[in-house]
Amino acid sequence: MKSVFTLVGLFLTLSLQAQNQISGKVTDRNEQPIAGANVYLEGTYDGATTNSFGEFSFSTKNRGEQILVISYISFETARKKIQVNTAQHLFIKLREDVTALDAVTLSAGTFSAGDNSKVTVLKPLDVVTTAGVAGDLMAALQTLPGTQPVGEDGRLFVRGGTAGETAVFIDGLRVFQPYTSSANNLPSRGRYSPFLFDGITFSTGGYSAEYGQALSGVLLLNTIAEPDQTETNISLMSVGGGLGHTQKWQKSSLSLNTGYINLSPYLKLVPNNEQAKFKKPYQSFSSESVYRKHSKNGIFKWYTAYELTNLEVLQPEIDQPQPVNFSLKNENLYTNLSYKSALGNGWSFNPGISASYSRNKFDIDLTQIENRELAANLKLKMSKRFNNHIKLHFGGEYIYKNFSEDFIASENPEELQIKPEVSAGFAEADFIFSKKFALKMGFRSTYLDLKKQFYWLPRLSMAMKTGNDGQLSLAYGQYLQQPETDLLKFDQTLEPETATHYILNYQWTRPGYILRAEAYHKEYNDLVKFNTPEPGYNSAYTNEGYGYARGADFFFRDDKSVENLQYWISYSFIDSQRNFRNYPVKTTPQFVANHTASLVTKFWIEELRSQAGFTYTFASGRPYEDPNTPGFMNRKTKNYNSLSFNWAYLLSQQKIIYFSVSNVLGSRNVFNYDYAKTADENGIFERQAITPAADRFFFVGFFWTISSNKSKNQLDNL
Amino acid sequence: MQAFIITIALSLFTAIGLNAQTQYEQEMTRALELWEDQKPEEAANLFERIAGAEAENWLPYYYASQIKIVESFPVTNRAQKEQMLTEAQNLLDKAKNRNADKIEIMILQAMLHTSRLTIDPSTYGMKLAPVISGIYSEASKLAPDNPRLFLSKTEWDMGTAAYYGEDPKKYCPTLEAGLELFAEEDHAPTVAPAWGEERMKKLIEQTCNNK
Repeated sequence: MKSVFTLVGLFLTLSLQAQNQISGKVTDRNEQPIAGANVYLEGTYDGATTNSFGEFSFSTKNRGEQILVISYISFETARKKIQVNTAQHLFIKLREDVTALDAVTLSAGTFSAGDNSKVTVLKPLDVVTTAGVAGDLMAALQTLPGTQPVGEDGRLFVRGGTAGETAVFIDGLRVFQPYTSSANNLPSRGRYSPFLFDGITFSTGGYSAEYGQALSGVLLLNTIAEPDQTETNISLMSVGGGLGHTQKWQKSSLSLNTGYINLSPYLKLVPNNEQAKFKKPYQSFSSESVYRKHSKNGIFKWYTAYELTNLEVLQPEIDQPQPVNFSLKNENLYTNLSYKSALGNGWSFNPGISASYSRNKFDIDLTQIENRELAANLKLKMSKRFNNHIKLHFGGEYIYKNFSEDFIASENPEELQIKPEVSAGFAEADFIFSKKFALKMGFRSTYLDLKKQFYWLPRLSMAMKTGNDGQLSLAYGQYLQQPETDLLKFDQTLEPETATHYILNYQWTRPGYILRAEAYHKEYNDLVKFNTPEPGYNSAYTNEGYGYARGADFFFRDDKSVENLQYWISYSFIDSQRNFRNYPVKTTPQFVANHTASLVTKFWIEELRSQAGFTYTFASGRPYEDPNTPGFMNRKTKNYNSLSFNWAYLLSQQKIIYFSVSNVLGSRNVFNYDYAKTADENGIFERQAITPAADRFFFVGFFWTISSNKSKNQLDNL
Repeated sequence: MQAFIITIALSLFTAIGLNAQTQYEQEMTRALELWEDQKPEEAANLFERIAGAEAENWLPYYYASQIKIVESFPVTNRAQKEQMLTEAQNLLDKAKNRNADKIEIMILQAMLHTSRLTIDPSTYGMKLAPVISGIYSEASKLAPDNPRLFLSKTEWDMGTAAYYGEDPKKYCPTLEAGLELFAEEDHAPTVAPAWGEERMKKLIEQTCNNK
């Protein structure tokens, strides 16, 4: 009997301790086994790691219904309800995590710079260490394909579009005066210093429905969300100086930058060409600040910039013996407040407001023009993430503008004012079907107050992985823009100008390499035309202009093949014609060069603790109108060539000496020609070339960072 | 910028000769042993399971994160490395939310940034180098005697110095001083972080002992 009891007791113990075996296999959707996945009962110690066949097996004392968790890197974690006693030979398929880094991205038309993206063509440092760029963000972007270098203007010309067709946004909000004011044929610069931005997205077409009032391109700048440390920056340059300070607190930070530029001392040493004899050389005072505050679920940013510029220059004019005396005073204030917050449940909330005030005073010989622009952009964007596969973005914005101008000529003073207000709404959905295929579709609706009319604009883009490293993207979109103020001010009944983009893009990336090829076609319609040499009160305006631009862009960047060498090559081919403004026929506009190319190189020389760089830019000749020849704009300038060089030397970890010279070889470039309005006694129209203000520009600077942390330097401020 | 070549191979254990008592301690010991047996994936998985079962303890998340960070250093596939580091960051954040030892977390955070920096020094160097230095200098103020902090910080400083062409040998006295800190550390048998001494010795041997 005793033994029976022992036996029974043994059975009882066994069954009380009975362990259930849980086993199965984990694979991906193609039934390839996943090794190394973590499989376990939620909230318990019980689990196992899958072997190389994707198989797992473990025992548990837990009983009844349990949740089996299966997780593996780059796959979505699966949760499965199981009955422990029947959980054998399970078969589990994991779904790939589409948010993974190697997943497809919607990239047609878009270049990303800074660290806001997976594929970065320009790094933050590049903006300031590229030879020939002189710290100007807009000039750095002109080393990318799809842009036209227009040396006498300096602004961004994208794919056969005028400079006004590219809009600039800071933290999602419109910037109204992104360029400094300048005299005719002297290039403008980007107004905002690149140091305060860490995310830069430059789109040369096919951009999202979130952005409107831009026919050709958008440039999206995001201010730095979190500066690295408290520091003070001092810069001394051959053309001025600057002082900056960043203060960091627990949850907030403030950056302040001020700068003063005066070209007088430089021009005494290196005088300009005859074309630009300054009476009062370019002088500017600028100041920028960014305040950021982090809250539990969001971030508030407040960006403000102020700039005061003046200059007075004598510019030769073919039709008169004395040069034209041009003087300019510009004052610009821009402020931008934005808030971004996660509301939970996949919702995010992003309201913002920007406002700008700009005043220009021009004296052109005896004529005085004074204009003022007060503008504001109010915007709200909401996003809802349903899951990793579907995201929805929608929102609305309102743009207010009040432009007024006084024109004081000797005989009849004029005054005019316009308020072109715009309201718009947008909605867009992202569908990420798999790691290999994604689609974005949406629309934008715009209401123009001057026209009292709605306009509907569809947008579509998709991307498909073609291998581990390559992807193919397509984009289509319709775009609209009110005519620019310089025309709208004379005729407020003008219709908006429109463009339709078709883009096919191929991108190939490997660590250290980026290759990008893009073909596009763009149709322009409703472009503004007028019937006088210059737009004026008495001109007749219509929306009968039209045109097209098509071409291909190539970009290759290599940071890896040669040690310490980084370089990129851009090439653009464009075929563009339009009949707009006062053109009598459809032709290639003056600002379009059929072939443009640039090569940017940067070489780090360890022994000299220096970075040396060369930039070579080429553009084929641009058309110009020669009244001595029949037809319209049938002649072309000679090719444009420029080789620039820079050198940065790290004196110590926090002190840098920087030197640069543009157009080292002194190529005599010609942008265009001014012809006399009347022919001379031989029936010939005299001309004068429009050239750069100086063939070369030299720059020397000393940059010093003061911080408790000695390893930070101002290399990124060059 | 490519000169930031930081190799961190951690030989992690002094001794895990503790008398396991609770299931938690047993499993933690088992996980540490798996890691020592060159089974980092299984070890990390087990740490994650322990972390899921134990609502309070920060150590399992800490170790799971550490494994991913250490394993990420030699990885050259960018996407894979970013993913490992994103995971490591998630785990580290979870550890942080469990009343973790602030200093030990800061050390791992700095190591994580260092690994990310090695993905593409020319992109991440300017951004992360000051962040890493900042973490080390703040942590050093709070806990000058933590030997692991001392080790990581010195390795980082040596990497930076090498970049600026300085002789790493000048760090030899510092390294020796660091070894003292390890000797002074309390070696009560627990599963608390105790790694670093072997690494320190190896570093001294590599840097200071060869002619």
